[in-house]
Amino acid sequence: MVEPLVAIRGLSVSFDGLPALRGVDLTVGRGEAVALVGESGCGKSVTWLAALGLLPAKARVSGSVTLEGTELIGAPPAVLDRVRGGRIAMIFQDPASSLNPVHRIGRQIAEALRLHRGLDGRAAREEARRLLDQVGMPDARRRLDAFPHELSGGQNQRVMIAMALAGRPEMLVADEPTTALDVTIQAQILELLAEIRRDTGMALVLVSHDLGVVAETCERVCVMYAGRIVEETAADKLFTGPAHPYAQGLLAALPPMTGPRRPLAAIPGGVPEPWAMPRGCAFAPRCPRRAEACEAAPPPLAEVAPAHRAACLYPGAAAVVSPVPAMVPA
Amino acid sequence: MSALLKAEGLVRRYEMRRGWFGRPVEVRALDGVSLTLEHGRTLGLVGESGCGKSTTGRLVLGLETPDEGRVTFEEQPLPAPGTAEWRRLRSRMQMVYQDPLGAMDRRLSIGAQVAEPWKIHGRQTSPEQVAALLRSVGLRPDHAAHYPHELSGGQRQRAVLARALATDPALLVCDEPISALDVSIQAQVMNLLSEIQAERGVALLFISHDLRAVRQMSHRVAVMYLGRIVEEGEPDAVLHDPAHPYARALVSAIPHPQRRGRRIVLQGDPPNPAARPAGCAFHPRCPVASARCAAEIPVLKPRADGRLVACHVAHGEIPAGSGLPAPTLAKAA
Repeated sequence: MVEPLVAIRGLSVSFDGLPALRGVDLTVGRGEAVALVGESGCGKSVTWLAALGLLPAKARVSGSVTLEGTELIGAPPAVLDRVRGGRIAMIFQDPASSLNPVHRIGRQIAEALRLHRGLDGRAAREEARRLLDQVGMPDARRRLDAFPHELSGGQNQRVMIAMALAGRPEMLVADEPTTALDVTIQAQILELLAEIRRDTGMALVLVSHDLGVVAETCERVCVMYAGRIVEETAADKLFTGPAHPYAQGLLAALPPMTGPRRPLAAIPGGVPEPWAMPRGCAFAPRCPRRAEACEAAPPPLAEVAPAHRAACLYPGAAAVVSPVPAMVPA
Repeated sequence: MSALLKAEGLVRRYEMRRGWFGRPVEVRALDGVSLTLEHGRTLGLVGESGCGKSTTGRLVLGLETPDEGRVTFEEQPLPAPGTAEWRRLRSRMQMVYQDPLGAMDRRLSIGAQVAEPWKIHGRQTSPEQVAALLRSVGLRPDHAAHYPHELSGGQRQRAVLARALATDPALLVCDEPISALDVSIQAQVMNLLSEIQAERGVALLFISHDLRAVRQMSHRVAVMYLGRIVEEGEPDAVLHDPAHPYARALVSAIPHPQRRGRRIVLQGDPPNPAARPAGCAFHPRCPVASARCAAEIPVLKPRADGRLVACHVAHGEIPAGSGLPAPTLAKAA
């Protein structure tokens, strides 16, 4: 097998002794588009903040993240500075708070160009204009002198993407890049990300809570729950035949656009709190297929079909009857 | 069935200053919105940020007064805000906001907050009533002793709902009630709202940007763009066969697990209400606009099948154009 671009092995993170990430294994190949989906607090953002050394000092990080063989966990700042923005770039949910409000955007893009490509002055400004053009900013030359507050949310996100592209990264981590935007603008940004991937062959990691966004943008999807990956498969496979009951529940809870309207199949209960994590499978308390074995130990991520893994002792179709012997008269 | 709530030609203007010494600019948040909501029914309001859907919610509750137009509730005109009469009426109409934590007092227990509407409206309360109310929204009676920070997001929204239901309102204005919640919790809250409606016959004004949620919840849906309703009809009719070009783009923008085909990607940004385009406000982004769209505001009127649409092209008054160049964009910037 070809060596992956990024390989994460056994990555765990805890804050003040409370686990946020509990052993994540994940690889991203060159040019691949991978999604991490899950609900708030499942660890999908923490995974990448940990990988790039962006967590506060109180976070305890263990495990390994390698970028083409170079270990990133515990790497010296000099190494990380070259990786962050240079080889792996990251954009966040709220573009307005990621940009400096008192500097013109041209200067902010030029800063990234100076750090990662050594460009200065005229050359940097010209390249910044080219980047703004590339991300579809109308009237790019004039917008170089605009402040973030003069631009709309969608345009600010384009500026963030331009800054991310400044270092010609091999991989872009987009953390909920469209969550703060209106749906018609979300469509524009997703289209832009797909276009940039086509043009540059950059790998994309999309962190999102929105299954629909993920389905349209990525080839492979990892579903996370309570600090673990619970299912990993091709995007179309996840939507036609999810194996983990949590993934099945998420899809079933989505209101349909066609057919009769009936009560939604909501997942009962809520996500376990980090200080009250179940000993076994974290999803067991909400799971319709829960059995005794589920409460013994967290199930490992195991292959259920080629290129399809799920962390469930009883993976399979949603209609599978409970493996617990039901109280039936003999 | 008689209408519970009727709004006619609501207009709301704000003044905005650009910079410290700038001249005040008029911002039309609402530009002639009319709607009708019947007892026990749900009207879904969809649109993007700044389209005036939240302002509509505030106007029908009387939290703000319209500059033009009027609101009638149970066939009576809405009394002036702040008057004793209005306060009495407000027990019949309640509001649920997007962020449940922001809508609650963090220093009051859930039980005290849920009982507060009774206190305000001068009714007796007992712990049993609070317990029954909490149970009706799927909380446990012992949650009454908890504080907001001790509950999860979904539980907080349930507590907010319990508080809104305390005075047994006839109308609930829900402004993005599920947007701040996780996907698996959104379904729980939508189910709860439907159950409450079935049991109590409360009418809902369901404001959301999420078309899936709106379809799930609504009997009718109105699509808003820049302070006006541009299309209104049955949810399935509007969402499966939208007539207005904006509604079409909105529907096509719904991320869809099964779809991998083309979608309509609108050019440009949602417009600024302070720089409202002339004619049809949507014309600078519209793929089928022609000259008349830039000159004349289309009226919201029924088509042959009863669907309300405000579009010259959708009514067949003019042939579909090929969009207009956007000279207004440079001027606005």
